[in-house]
Amino acid sequence: MAATMETLKTGAAEAARKPRGGFRRTFLNYYAGPITAFLIVIALWELVPLWLGMKPFILPKPTDVLKAAAEDWRILWEAVRITVVESVIGFLLSAVIGIAVSVLLASSLVLERSIYPYAIILQTIPVVAVAPLVVIWFGAGYNSIVVIAFLIGFFPVISNTLMGLNSVDRSMDELFTLYNSSKWQKMWKLRLPSAMPYMMAGLKISCTLSIVGVIVGEYVAGIGGGKGGLGYAITIAAVQMKTPFLFACGIAAAILGIAFYLVVNMIANRVLGSWHESAMKTRR
Amino acid sequence: MGNTEQSSLVAFNHVGKIYNTGTIALKDVHFGIKEGEFISFLGPSGCGKSTALRMVAGLEDATTGSVLVDGKEPKRVIRESNDIAFVFQEANLLPWRTVQENVILPLELRGGSAKEHKAEALRVLEMVGLKDYVKAYPRQLSGGMKMRVSIARALAARPKLLLMDEPFAALDEITRQTLQMELLDIWQREKMTVLFVTHNVFEAVLLSSQIAVMSARPGRLSALIDVELPYPRTLSMRTERSFGEYVELASTYLEHGALQKELG
Repeated sequence: MAATMETLKTGAAEAARKPRGGFRRTFLNYYAGPITAFLIVIALWELVPLWLGMKPFILPKPTDVLKAAAEDWRILWEAVRITVVESVIGFLLSAVIGIAVSVLLASSLVLERSIYPYAIILQTIPVVAVAPLVVIWFGAGYNSIVVIAFLIGFFPVISNTLMGLNSVDRSMDELFTLYNSSKWQKMWKLRLPSAMPYMMAGLKISCTLSIVGVIVGEYVAGIGGGKGGLGYAITIAAVQMKTPFLFACGIAAAILGIAFYLVVNMIANRVLGSWHESAMKTRR
Repeated sequence: MGNTEQSSLVAFNHVGKIYNTGTIALKDVHFGIKEGEFISFLGPSGCGKSTALRMVAGLEDATTGSVLVDGKEPKRVIRESNDIAFVFQEANLLPWRTVQENVILPLELRGGSAKEHKAEALRVLEMVGLKDYVKAYPRQLSGGMKMRVSIARALAARPKLLLMDEPFAALDEITRQTLQMELLDIWQREKMTVLFVTHNVFEAVLLSSQIAVMSARPGRLSALIDVELPYPRTLSMRTERSFGEYVELASTYLEHGALQKELG
């Protein structure tokens, strides 16, 4: 009897302690691990080349990268700026055209059946192979780069949106039929809103891909154009064996991708906001 | 059973339905439903009671015979008016619309002024006791409340004919009883004809003025029972002797249908 009382007491004490240590606990559970891992990797990256006596142009240390970025920050900043503009335009193109084409395909089964297979085939051709052709057609420079970013971001939008438009609940569809709704009323008031979660998933994939597309585009097309974005800066740095700056550009591209994803994710949550599970979970 | 008279609001004329798979869902169903009736289609699963209801809504076509509403094909009635409303087993609300926006959907699809729609939404939401929830989203409501919104939406179009496909089957017993009583109340005030699909004998007797008992494989009409218990009905009627007799009668026809199937 006394023993059970004792365990009850400690149990209650533990329960009382929990909410007070809330922030510390979540910090320890969720953030402490990744932060520690990050610091260890950075430390090893700094120390191993030092121990092995590696030259900075083979494997630059984090401090070398930081130094290179600081020295040439003007070039780096300009490259980031150009890449951001190009990938945003490319992404917007793939979003708008992707959604429009999906609506068109979904409005007619014949159209979807005849055209969608070719969209898939188009997707299987690697962008790197198409890029030179795009440059021939659109000229070296911004236009080609945006087109390449569009090409790579286009398919995820189409395939996801189309899937969403086609997976409307059957009885919902019947309900609209019972109220004598027209085909386009069904599209605007039922199918498009139901497809929103799918569409947002497609846009999230497409936004990070658009940055990849821009960098690939700059690789191929930017060389002739003189001034360029990150892809161009990377090729120049590689040719000149400025490895630390090459690393700085790569890291900048990664940060850009993450930032772009977070922005699109935020917009998606805003749009789905009050009603969809995927958005509600992140809000809680 | 008799003939499908001219006075019937809904007429089944020797209706048969065979699915592509070869399953016979309905066989020679022939009867009429008078205006103002509350009729339950009662039967085991697979007896085609839902199929029959869906035919009245024009969602399914008869293989042989025909179903007429007001002497016209259901699809034509739907094209021309809001006379037929349907309530599914699930509430089927659009999650991105508020309660009010969900309720006015049928009106919106037919066009008309937004002001009128709002007034109509308030009228029907008051009828189901959800006047204070116009701005709520479906996810904020309980299962029973969602079904209330679904019923309100069906009423918004002021239908002559309300079709309900096991609307209370997914609800808990207490919520179901409340909604049953409210539905009867609305039926009497709005003077509609209700076609109600159920597999629950007690529910059928409690609600209906008439019960169409159906048997399975192939789906046939095995009896039409007139339930002559007075309205307004109350839950306490369930303990009365006459109530028990109707339950027994309906159950006998249900078993009889099952028995016939085993023998033949």
